[in-house]
Amino acid sequence: MNAAGPDGEAPVPGRGKPPVDAIVLRMLLGRQLRRLREAAGITPERAGDEIEGSRSKISRMETGKTAYKISDVADLLSLYGVTDKQRRAEVLAMARHSNAPDWWRKYSDILPGWFETYLGLESAACTIRSFEIQFVPALFQTEDYARAVTRLGHKAAPDGEIDERVALCLKRQALLSRPGPPVVWSVMDEGVLRRRVGGPAVMRAQLRHLIEAAAMPHVIFQVVPFGLGAHAGAAGSFTVLRFAERDLPDVVYIEQLTSAMYLEQRLDVEHYLEVINQLSGEALPPAATVRLMEQAARETL
Amino acid sequence: MTSHEAPAQRGAKTGPLPFDTSVAHQARIYDYLLGGKDNYTADRAAAEELIEIWPEMIFTARANRAFLGRAVRYLAGEAGVRQFLDIGTGIPTAGNTHQVAQAIAPETRVVYVDYDPIVLAHARALLVSGQAGATDYIDADLREVGMILSQAAKLLDFTRPVAVTLLAILNAIPDSDGPYEIVARLMDSVPSGSYLAISHGGSDLLGRQALDGLTDVADRRIQQKVVYRTREQVARFFDGTDLVEPGLVRIEEWRPVPGAGEKGRSSGWCAVGRRR
Repeated sequence: MNAAGPDGEAPVPGRGKPPVDAIVLRMLLGRQLRRLREAAGITPERAGDEIEGSRSKISRMETGKTAYKISDVADLLSLYGVTDKQRRAEVLAMARHSNAPDWWRKYSDILPGWFETYLGLESAACTIRSFEIQFVPALFQTEDYARAVTRLGHKAAPDGEIDERVALCLKRQALLSRPGPPVVWSVMDEGVLRRRVGGPAVMRAQLRHLIEAAAMPHVIFQVVPFGLGAHAGAAGSFTVLRFAERDLPDVVYIEQLTSAMYLEQRLDVEHYLEVINQLSGEALPPAATVRLMEQAARETL
Repeated sequence: MTSHEAPAQRGAKTGPLPFDTSVAHQARIYDYLLGGKDNYTADRAAAEELIEIWPEMIFTARANRAFLGRAVRYLAGEAGVRQFLDIGTGIPTAGNTHQVAQAIAPETRVVYVDYDPIVLAHARALLVSGQAGATDYIDADLREVGMILSQAAKLLDFTRPVAVTLLAILNAIPDSDGPYEIVARLMDSVPSGSYLAISHGGSDLLGRQALDGLTDVADRRIQQKVVYRTREQVARFFDGTDLVEPGLVRIEEWRPVPGAGEKGRSSGWCAVGRRR
């Protein structure tokens, strides 16, 4: 975990730990609230009643998918029988700090909610592993490549919106050069290198950009060559995010056309971890991957 | 796959690696004990059973990891070794051999050896990329000494001293697989002035009941055999070497850093010996 969040959030006072991103705090807080509720033997319905909300509001709170109202958290703590002053103060401080604004807020008008969640998780992760079957991972796209990909997905969008989306993609890449960057480990199908997104010139520049990025110590690329035949990633692209906090499970992110799926149940996550471990074991090692990228750049005429 | 079923196939395979996560594996149990997330349901279940029988298991795993750091720091620092053969690498965590050694001497060469496909996946990417000194990874079983030596020779110069590290791995080699011969062959291949570092679960550091319980869990749940040995039996691995101070001791007692680390009593022996 980086010493300072990408937003430069203030440290959580009195906790003696480096500051963490708001979304991680929300997830940690949600898990604590669930544990406390279950330990007190209280149903989500009953908890919902207490704060004049629904069962689903409790569920959203406990999975960290919503901002917290401090008074709601305080009421729940009382309902769950948490009376220790110090303990209550810690939980409430977490709730306050988890409401810090996120850097991508200004792009809200073009961002669907599910993607905002992803951006939060991405900037909080300590390891980002992905398998890419179609496109260069967004964190490594050049501006021209990103523009070409964005055009594919938003044919009717006005130029201004395309510009904004491309700007967001480039802004995300800042996490690669922040202090304490995450390890980004991307396994790509060879098709990613061969598909001439944006035309040969754009693609050649993109490949050169990948080769440069591969030299960063926290960036690992591996390519699954065509010669390997069918492989474990037949299911399609996905990303596994890992957080430094021991309490937080890995999260699998799968983007679909109009929505995204997040998996954090152990069995689901384990399945994807197995697939990505298998892919990493089969794919070319990093040095050979760079050689294949160089070859692809030469052959992209 | 258990290594003794088909050791000859290792290192020469063409198809995909088997990823059997339904049976617990020592490297992943170790990862769980260290607080890592690269473990699966079966590994956690086995680990919890082990902890139930022997709660010091967690401390022992951490102490073993800490010993790796102290031993490598000694070998790269005071002993001035510039080549490492790290067999039984495990799933990479912070402070891997090459990171510790290359922080002291950037030109240090490190060859890692392991046979777990999950270790392989991580090692190929995390252990060998973007580092200043040279590192390499060999996908092999400790029993395939010839293969390990010939592949390691691509990066290591066997006319110069090499530090061979075998941490918590000889436990997986039952006497019937010739662990003493394996270690002797390795040490015969390196010149005088080379080093051997071993850590090993101690049968005489566990009560009879715990020993039986742990062995039983391993037999039922873990892919590898788990063998515990006495202090004398561990000492025999160091034949032909002179032990450096403080000799063969509990893992946490080997050159402890004053004031650092948690307190506890491990159930493992360790030593570092210099080849005569």
